[in-house]
Amino acid sequence: MNWLATLWGEEWSEYNAWELHWTSDVWGGAFAFLGVLIVLSLWFFWTSLSRVRSPWKKTFLYVLRVVVLLLVAMVVLQPQLEFKKIQPLKNTLAVLVDDSKSMTIKTFPSEKSRGDLVRKVLESNQEYFETLKQDYEVDFFFVSDHIDPVPLSNAVTDYQEEAVNTDLHQVFLDMTENYEDQSLQGVLLFSDGADLSQDPSGISPEFTETLTRLNGPVHTFQAGSNDGFKDLAIEKVDATDFGFIHQPLNITVTVSARAIGKKNIPLVLKEGDKILVSKIVSLKEEDSQYTAELQFTPVSLGKRIYTLSVPVFAGEAVEVNNRWSFEVKVIRDRVRVLHLNGRPSWDSRFLRETLANNPKVDLLSFFILRTLTDDVGATTSELSLIPFPSNLLFSDYLNSFDLVIFHNFKFSPFIDKKNLPNIKAYVEQGGSFLMIGGDLSFEGGGYDRTPVEEILPMRIRGGSKKFLLGELQMKMQPKLVYHPVLRLENDPKLNAKAWKSLPPIQGVNIGLVPAKGAHVLGVTHKNKASYPVLVTRQVLEGRTMAIATDSTWNWNFLHVGEGGSGRYYQKFWENVIAWMTGEPETNPIQVETDKEKYREHEKVVVHFNVSGQDYNPLPGAEVDLVMNSLPKEQERVRQSLKTDEHGVGRFEFAPGREGFYSARVGVTAGGEVLSGETRFIVFSPQIEFQKPLVNETLLQTVSKVTGGSYRVLEEGIMIENLIFPNPDVEVKSSSRMVSLWDSWWTYGLIVGFLAVEWFTRRKTGLS
Amino acid sequence: MRLNLLILTVCLQAGILIPWPAFALGEASKVVIPQIKYKGGTYNPRPHAVESLLAQMAKRTSIEVKRAPLFLAPGDARLYRYPFIYMGGNKAFKPFSEKELKALRNHLTYGGFLLIDDNSSKPNSEFDRSVRRMIGRLFPHIPLQRISRDHSIFRSFYLINQVVGRVVNKPYLEGITTKGRTVLVYSANDLGGAWSKSKLGHWDFDMIGGGSRQRRLSLRLGVNIVMYALTLDYKKDMVHLPIILERLRRVNPK
Repeated sequence: MNWLATLWGEEWSEYNAWELHWTSDVWGGAFAFLGVLIVLSLWFFWTSLSRVRSPWKKTFLYVLRVVVLLLVAMVVLQPQLEFKKIQPLKNTLAVLVDDSKSMTIKTFPSEKSRGDLVRKVLESNQEYFETLKQDYEVDFFFVSDHIDPVPLSNAVTDYQEEAVNTDLHQVFLDMTENYEDQSLQGVLLFSDGADLSQDPSGISPEFTETLTRLNGPVHTFQAGSNDGFKDLAIEKVDATDFGFIHQPLNITVTVSARAIGKKNIPLVLKEGDKILVSKIVSLKEEDSQYTAELQFTPVSLGKRIYTLSVPVFAGEAVEVNNRWSFEVKVIRDRVRVLHLNGRPSWDSRFLRETLANNPKVDLLSFFILRTLTDDVGATTSELSLIPFPSNLLFSDYLNSFDLVIFHNFKFSPFIDKKNLPNIKAYVEQGGSFLMIGGDLSFEGGGYDRTPVEEILPMRIRGGSKKFLLGELQMKMQPKLVYHPVLRLENDPKLNAKAWKSLPPIQGVNIGLVPAKGAHVLGVTHKNKASYPVLVTRQVLEGRTMAIATDSTWNWNFLHVGEGGSGRYYQKFWENVIAWMTGEPETNPIQVETDKEKYREHEKVVVHFNVSGQDYNPLPGAEVDLVMNSLPKEQERVRQSLKTDEHGVGRFEFAPGREGFYSARVGVTAGGEVLSGETRFIVFSPQIEFQKPLVNETLLQTVSKVTGGSYRVLEEGIMIENLIFPNPDVEVKSSSRMVSLWDSWWTYGLIVGFLAVEWFTRRKTGLS
Repeated sequence: MRLNLLILTVCLQAGILIPWPAFALGEASKVVIPQIKYKGGTYNPRPHAVESLLAQMAKRTSIEVKRAPLFLAPGDARLYRYPFIYMGGNKAFKPFSEKELKALRNHLTYGGFLLIDDNSSKPNSEFDRSVRRMIGRLFPHIPLQRISRDHSIFRSFYLINQVVGRVVNKPYLEGITTKGRTVLVYSANDLGGAWSKSKLGHWDFDMIGGGSRQRRLSLRLGVNIVMYALTLDYKKDMVHLPIILERLRRVNPK
């Protein structure tokens, strides 16, 4: 071979083998065609030499032609010579160490964790692994539901049982992929076999098939045992992600008990430190699994965090599974609206239809259909009228409503004056109250100098003139165009256009002045005077609104007659309901995280959008951001930040440990403190503790399928007598390709031989 | 437990009858019932009918009304100021144009209400045929159907178990209901004739068959129809049902 390498100017000492390669670019049919063509041309050429009498010349010419055709064929087949260096290699062994959380479970009677057992064995068998390295490459991996390579020297020091899931089938899939081009001749697996993805009675056919694709045996070492295993655990909680406020919520809890004995244990559900419900679970010696149904009623809106717990007994293998926290997003099922109408009118008819057709609204409405002076001309039994349940509504059940609407409604004689303070208290504690205009509203309803006036967004000044009649166009107050009530369109320009497109209203109540802290959203003008039409106000925890006209129905029916639609009317009332009932999107401070759930050590990004009470963005505002861990509201981070030119800000937070957290943003604007909050979860799945028993069957089956051995780890155990195949393995470390056809001499020979043939033919007298 | 039921179980039996000044915030707040002024036939054979009905509404209920007569063509844009419209007649009338039908259809679909009253006092009159043709074109996909006795119209103010007018050609009302709301009611019994009262306080037309009781029932039905247009299915709210059903049971023990 030396001369061959020298011929192409290669240094032979670099290589110890060669190989001839043919082109693979040419279509197979082309080869066949070329072969037939060569045979035909040789036959044709042989017949053309019949006039040559000298057999020597004839043979010479024929050989020349054969050589030329062979050279042409070589050009087509493009042969290449590969010089390469081949080296023998060591086979590989893999040591897999389970680092999932279940390895922290204690084993009895030593009360050492499964992980500690593995540590000890790895430490005491360092010499054995070093011995293995003489004949094999030995790779170490921490495994759970994936593989993490680790150097042998760090295998003990870096070992931390923190992985949140075990999936040994996936581990072996990763191994086969990782060693696809290498010679893996055996595996040592240190694990408790607690793999929730596999059936306790065996392993899946897919897992078996994956194992059979491995070349060598898998020797399994079982960490821990089930002897003396004692544990009480909340194994599973079935609860919906969301619930409705004031509506009972059911949860199903599965409790497992092993070697706890015959006991009655309390299962307690708490929100923060407050016990919501508890139930006694009677444990029996013969049963290991129990199901309990609990019911509780959320009383606050938003993301709520609840914790279930059972007592921790001495000597339990796992304590962390005695608690289970979960989050429920508590929403309003339907907004309960009390709609009182002083008399039937087109305004009340269209509003009632809108409320009744709104699937989010649970409507209770009353119309005052007759007065004392009305002569119905019939007995009570001939009428469909019912008495107005005033006391019931305004003393007992007022708090059950989210929104109370007085629609051109005079309270006397239907509501006892002594109940008016209840309306004020209801609002101050978080309720919402809307007064819609008309001759029976405001002063006409007798509300001046009553507790209701104190919560209204407008003070009743009175005066000789109570109404301004005629067609009046309502205009948005430019300073409050971002208010949620006015948002018929998201785009401010389109929104302004939408309001301009609405028909005028038919008169307004006058003699009203905005109360302190109220926001006048819409006004109408006449004779250079301005009259408030839409006015809102925050009253302690509640919200109130006044609409000083009884003709907003013009924005619906009349607008349709003008070629528009009732869409803006519907949207307006949706906005009113949302703002009045304090839907989260109407909070001036919007706080949100980029996700609702984070894994441990994942970065949390908090975004906040800060507006004032008037919903105008607060650029450059000083914001106080507090991150608390829940449910005990322990402050983790407090930071002063500034909003950008759009009133927007961002904060990154690394909570680290699992748990529930809140991000609260507060700002002082116009002398008032506004705040917004969001909650998020940092989780570290506890699935590893749901079925914490050692799975002997799995480890035994894995070793059996692969022809390996199975042993139970004990402290001080020495690993020995493991057999692994060790076939010869070679690898090409370097190579060089040399073309045999793409050279001047190839083409020179073709031309040369053709020239000699031509010359000989001429001399012979052939053309 | 349903709040509504709770309320009902303890609701007070106290009266609710206190007067207040009758001033409304603008003319638009008052209930006006315009009449359709169509071509051909006689669009106003009972000149005092609507005014008389409104007077009865004002007398019997809390509704504020404006009694001045108003006549509008079916395609008149001003119809959208008046959700309730009345159409009476006693003769055949010219078919409405497509434009008029479209305007009327939109009016009714988006919140309006039309009461059609055959004032001819005859069964299967020319007016009746014209009306049915017109309704067939107005709502080609929704048939004119008999209004059932449990409809809110029969309990919106009075509890009514008999459908009459000046005559009793058909002991029922017919109507068009779309999206759960009855938008058109047709009476073949000359309701307007029963309501109509002169300015001097005399009934303009004698009742045929039932006398004063029949007139009383006709007036109650008129009040209920207007009340239904203003309150829709209010009387089907759970809060009303137990009392209404109990009263109906007493009236009709069967």
